[in-house]
Amino acid sequence: MRYLMTTLPTGDEPEFNEQMAAEMGAFIQELTASGALLATGGLEPGGVLLTSKDGDVTVTDGPFAEAKEAVVGFALIDVRSKEEAIELSKRFWRIVGNGKGIIQQVFGP
Amino acid sequence: MDLARTIDAVWKLESAKIIAALTRLVHDVGLAEEMAQDALVAALEQWPESGVPDNPGAWLTAIAKRRAIDHIRRSQRLEEKQELLARELERPPEPEPERDDVLRLMFMSCHPSLPTESRAALTLRLLGGLTAAEIARAFLTSEAVITRRIAEAKRTLAEAGAAFELPESGELAGRLSSVLEVIYLVYNEGYSATSGDDLMRPGLTLEALRLGHLLADLAPGESEVHGLLALMEIQESRAAARTGPDGEPVRLHEQNRGLWDRLRVQRGFAAMLRARAIGGPPGPYLLQAAIAVTHAQSASAEATDWAQIAALYDLLVRVLSTPVVRLNRAVAVGMARGPAAGLSLVDELLADPALRDYHLLPGVRGDLLLRLGRDVEARREFERAAALTRNAAERAFLLRRAEAIAPVAAGPLLGEAAASFLAREDLDASTVRSYGQTLRRLAVSLGERVPLSEIGSADVARVFAVAWGGAAARTWNRHRAALRSFASWTSTVDLVAEVARRVEEPVEIVAVQGIDALLDRDDVALRERVLWWMLRESGATVKAVLGLGVEDLDLDDRRAPAGTGWVQWRSRTARLLPGLIDGRSRGPLFLADRRPGPGRMPAPGDLCPETGRGRLSYERAEYLFKQASGMTLRALRQR
Repeated sequence: MRYLMTTLPTGDEPEFNEQMAAEMGAFIQELTASGALLATGGLEPGGVLLTSKDGDVTVTDGPFAEAKEAVVGFALIDVRSKEEAIELSKRFWRIVGNGKGIIQQVFGP
Repeated sequence: MDLARTIDAVWKLESAKIIAALTRLVHDVGLAEEMAQDALVAALEQWPESGVPDNPGAWLTAIAKRRAIDHIRRSQRLEEKQELLARELERPPEPEPERDDVLRLMFMSCHPSLPTESRAALTLRLLGGLTAAEIARAFLTSEAVITRRIAEAKRTLAEAGAAFELPESGELAGRLSSVLEVIYLVYNEGYSATSGDDLMRPGLTLEALRLGHLLADLAPGESEVHGLLALMEIQESRAAARTGPDGEPVRLHEQNRGLWDRLRVQRGFAAMLRARAIGGPPGPYLLQAAIAVTHAQSASAEATDWAQIAALYDLLVRVLSTPVVRLNRAVAVGMARGPAAGLSLVDELLADPALRDYHLLPGVRGDLLLRLGRDVEARREFERAAALTRNAAERAFLLRRAEAIAPVAAGPLLGEAAASFLAREDLDASTVRSYGQTLRRLAVSLGERVPLSEIGSADVARVFAVAWGGAAARTWNRHRAALRSFASWTSTVDLVAEVARRVEEPVEIVAVQGIDALLDRDDVALRERVLWWMLRESGATVKAVLGLGVEDLDLDDRRAPAGTGWVQWRSRTARLLPGLIDGRSRGPLFLADRRPGPGRMPAPGDLCPETGRGRLSYERAEYLFKQASGMTLRALRQR
């Protein structure tokens, strides 16, 4: 089953240093090789807001007031169980340190 | 959160590495797995109190390694201990010992000394971290069977002295293909779910993909490894499109390509490119992957590059000339060069006994016939395919295809005629049984719904050659006589005009001293050989021997209680017995061929709890021996 792991901003993010980069690189490499990691990436802050109402789509450029709830980064993983998804996320957070994230199962396609 | 599930998840992620590391220490994969299991038990006991440790994998590894080191210390024989330690010290340093250990473990669990199904079970167990119950569910068998299979496999590995080493370069190709075969077997078991109502058992396909990724990571220089991974990724990308809303199969060219999983397709491409970059002549997995990729690349079914696919099949059939590949090649050629070209390739396969009951052969043939406008024959082939498949969703689908073609009234059908022929009152039971065998085979091979008027003597000759070509002259002539009788009763043409009567050897009256030769014939089924040898060696009554239960057998002392005495056997029986028991723990030793019908349920003691089959009857046992020897079973008791 697939899970989307997203990270949210807390304002308490640790500095990204070289050691962390190396550990994260190895972690991503391991997950890619094992087939668990399908896609991952970071997201620009803000983005473009689209609102659709009664057939009218309004497009607004960011940033937005609710930016602290905006997603910072994501990883799409393919695992056997929710517990396995949690275990992999724990490894992620052990490398990154402080932060906040959400895991959600992805249905479909 | 359920702690047991968390522990299970950690176990599945870590167990292969732990078992591999321990196997290097104790040089016994069975022992290594037990110690790793001990660590798992410790986790189940301690984590509820202490909470899940920060690094659960490292925790499990540490506990398991401690057990292994304790074991080596406790090891009674000093020299053994020294030998072990010396071996550890002599090992040349490796850049990544952990990774190579897992690869060694994979080669070991796919060791050629093991039967294929044991390799699959052991690999899922040791590399995938699956429990026996999970493996059993995936293979639609009982947990007891899998547990036994794994235990036997470990014993075989120990007896064969299978080394925990990477294969030498000379044998690498062979050993690697054994690993690939196991992974693809696991994948296919999940992909095509040979029986049952669920067309796909997704657990196994994903387990196989995981193993494929693991192997590609460990042995990145082997093109076929990436080829297999590419093949599985692309096949898996179609998982959602492959079945319709009611679970029925959707054929590739009718699939909604929007449902294809682009992420998997992309990974399949990438794996294929890695395989191609390694170079060398393309192997069977890479060629099959290339075919799958060609399908994945076309935006619509109509845009499929069939010429390219047919060309790839031309290459594939040279390295992997299995009947199924040849059948698929016929499909591709049918698309690339027209249905007539495809049909002529399919027709070459009709004489292949391996495909005798393979439902896709009439399925493909029906397709090609339909495109050639030969509707009546096409309908018959779809019906035949439906009767042959074991998968319910697929059967319904094939019947729908058959029904979509308007039937042509052409007199009585084979199935109906056979049924009324066998229902005649002037036939005795054994004749009905014997004739029934012949007609059932004819109906399976030609289709129940083929009109009698359309069966030609050439069709019958083909069925005879495929079904009984290798049988004894007497068997051949018995079927021939049955069909002559049927033909004259139905007043059809002489169905056996092209089936020549065979010259029978004079019926051998086997002298008693000649019985042992009969018992050694390897064309006799195992059950019969055990029964006959047991009667011969024990001198016990037929009734006593047939009455034995698996739970009665004392294999070490070669005896079993029967009534007030014992049935005692000797070496020949002893050698054959384990194969017949086949892991069963109780129930009748000698089982009937089929499960009993609901109306004739035997007493519980006469029913095998594992297979659901009843006890072999005296009459049947007598009949089989008579067929083979012309004598009665009692003759075996004379010495």
